[in-house]
Amino acid sequence: MKLKSGFILKEMAGECIVVSVDAALDLNGVITLNETAKTIWSCLEKGAEREELIKELLSEYEVDGTEASRAVDAFVSKLKELDFLE
Amino acid sequence: MSERKIKLDDAMPLIKEKLASGGEVTFSPRGTSMLPLLREGRDTVTLSPAPKKLKKYDIPFYQRENGQYVLHRVVKTGESYTCIGDNQFESEKGVKQEQIIAICTAFTRDGRRYSVNSARWKLYARLWHYSRFPRRMLAALKRRAARSFGKDKNG
Repeated sequence: MKLKSGFILKEMAGECIVVSVDAALDLNGVITLNETAKTIWSCLEKGAEREELIKELLSEYEVDGTEASRAVDAFVSKLKELDFLE
Repeated sequence: MSERKIKLDDAMPLIKEKLASGGEVTFSPRGTSMLPLLREGRDTVTLSPAPKKLKKYDIPFYQRENGQYVLHRVVKTGESYTCIGDNQFESEKGVKQEQIIAICTAFTRDGRRYSVNSARWKLYARLWHYSRFPRRMLAALKRRAARSFGKDKNG
């Protein structure tokens, strides 16, 4: 799995938000990422499989396998919904 | 990950960056000053990079010297601009080109997107502007009538 190009992360008022390079900046529908999502996002920029993402969360945060895989699955399905993945 | 609205003030650096790269920004304007065109909480506007010079009836997005951001219509051009909200009677003189951040090029009403340059909205801008004086008189009469007949809020 890999993220499509054309998205960049920006810091705004202490939050991390996703900005599309090409589309209009829509203040009514800004996508914000929490710490976990940011970690998964940066892995997906380079391209990573589900197992790698879970492993990354396990090494970065104090979570168990169930929590990590739930976080990965939820985030990935949201990315698919938004058509952010290649 | 969550999708939500962000405040204009927080987003200003991003907005300016987007406009500088030639991109567009959409948001929901607040307040009642641009009624009946823009209804708070319902309509959204699209901002594009500002041109070097504004024309009469353009709707610039600018910053006042007190820091406030405003989206009002130009009703007079010259060395500076005179701007006023469609729902206002007092205009604001001396708006300088340097204060202009962007220009409204389109807006969305009830899910439909309109260009401000469409014949319909160009006509609206002119009719609404030229009816300002009679509208103002009518508003004053209504106020006076309400007062003399005790129909005001306290009556």
